Amino acid sequence: MSPVNLSTQFAGIKLRNPILTCSGTYGFGEEYVAYCPLEALGGITLKGITPLPRLGNPVPRLAETPAGLLNAVGLENPGLEEFLKSYLPKVRKLPTAAIANISGFSLEDYVLLARALQKDSGLAALEVNISCPNVKHGGMHFGTDPQSAQEVIAAVKAVTDLPVIAKLSPNVTDIVGMARAVQLGGADALSLINTLLGMHIDINQQRPVLANTFGGLSGPAIRPVAVRMVWQVFQAVDLPIIGMGGITTWQDAVEFMLAGATAVSIGTGNFVNPLVPLEILQGIQDYCEKRGLASVHDLVGLAHRA
Amino acid sequence: MLTEGQVVVHESLGDEEQRLRRLVLKGPIARTAHAGQFVAIQVQDSSISSFDPLLRRPISIAGISSERDEITLLYRIQGRGTEILARAKCGERLSVMGPLGKGFSLPEKGELWLVAGGIGIFPLYPLAQSALAQGLTVRLFWGGENKSFLESAGLSSWKALGIPLHLSTLDGSLGQTGLVTEQAQELLKKSSASGGQIRAATCGPKKMMQAATELFKNYKVSVEVSLEERMGCAVGACLGCVCTLVDEAGVLIHRKVCQDGPVFRGEEVVWNESC
Repeated sequence: MSPVNLSTQFAGIKLRNPILTCSGTYGFGEEYVAYCPLEALGGITLKGITPLPRLGNPVPRLAETPAGLLNAVGLENPGLEEFLKSYLPKVRKLPTAAIANISGFSLEDYVLLARALQKDSGLAALEVNISCPNVKHGGMHFGTDPQSAQEVIAAVKAVTDLPVIAKLSPNVTDIVGMARAVQLGGADALSLINTLLGMHIDINQQRPVLANTFGGLSGPAIRPVAVRMVWQVFQAVDLPIIGMGGITTWQDAVEFMLAGATAVSIGTGNFVNPLVPLEILQGIQDYCEKRGLASVHDLVGLAHRA
Repeated sequence: MLTEGQVVVHESLGDEEQRLRRLVLKGPIARTAHAGQFVAIQVQDSSISSFDPLLRRPISIAGISSERDEITLLYRIQGRGTEILARAKCGERLSVMGPLGKGFSLPEKGELWLVAGGIGIFPLYPLAQSALAQGLTVRLFWGGENKSFLESAGLSSWKALGIPLHLSTLDGSLGQTGLVTEQAQELLKKSSASGGQIRAATCGPKKMMQAATELFKNYKVSVEVSLEERMGCAVGACLGCVCTLVDEAGVLIHRKVCQDGPVFRGEEVVWNESC
């Protein structure tokens, strides 16, 4: 049997395989070098950046929940200038595709960031975070109002030549409406989903565990919600989807692809097992072989046939 | 590195009511580990795979034997994660990342004072061993709840090192009654050694480390502290476990406890900063 074709191409992004890592869980790529061979990954999504440096939220920033993790890091990042000076040169040398992730507090913030990041930056794409739940008046405003979402994506598209991926928030009533809005804005692809807003109270101390009170829930606990949203958006909107939300095993990844994800991204799963992206890739490959599929791309949306 | 550590010893430590455990793992981590570093260990009931609890548990390294390829972890059962870890049987293989973080440093000569609160004693033992091997003078100040705790948590091993021990308990059942830092203060007052000849290292509750840092600062003794914070990735990628430091220019900065620490210079830590 000929080997399964793992490479994938969508929205002008070429990847050697459909396995990515999620923004905010993989730093700027260096942290996991000792644990996972980056050259084996389709690509990584970098920690989100804002125009100015941010210290983020106070600690505690993390709270473990059943099969999940709440985080309220609050977009701690070195800011655009430091990113361009100290991080981007190293990112360019990484042996895998790198997708930058940008966050802002105003339309101008997003434009400023997008203008600074172009194809000649050595990046594969730009993921626009309009869905951070951990910052007041932060990205999530743009991610819960369709009109604002469309505007911010259109503004970003106008100033960068990189493919633009809109990362959507699941904290909305109508995910399809949001996806349609960013499509109208000119998005080339979608990342589905960001974290679900949640909280955890310490019953002994009788107060919230997180210093920020609320945090974004990730991990296996949110996977069914993410799969449902990928499924709905795949049916309604003709844009490639990067599926994410609790992927921790190859079976999870296959599920996302069957629901309509062209690629999958691993976030919290890396914390559980840093080698999980490789195990997932192998699992997908074996699954395709057993099913007689010539390419991983053949999996995309397959569950919609029935 | 990500390795599998084989459980060679896993036993109760001292009085069962203290809920302390000693876990010895065989594997390559011992070859590069230093005192003050830690491992991130997967806590899963090996008989059935599950993602609850999800995260690895960071545990400080309490013993390093590079000849035998063994590290010792001492921990207290105090939650779901450690309860599940406590079920690991001899011969079982546990997924371990490590050695992680930056450990304690050793002065070239002089005296090293160790100040421990409660189970903060555990990472200080390999530090004492290294210091003694290097010919330093070492003394320990250790405070705990009561006699049962100190005896369960390894007092006899410390006695075997033959160094001066200054013990204190909250209830006075062993050593002096009161706080561990009070004993250190008394000796600093009396000590003929100047601050320049003494270095200190501390591990324990945050308030105790803060008090120790302030005390040593008054006597111009530089001190290293081992911080603790809830961790996600344990390798510096997720920014879950930051602490606030003040840099040389007086600017507040964040550092990652997992990667830049857990050991920091006491004088650079901003103890009451919540940002």
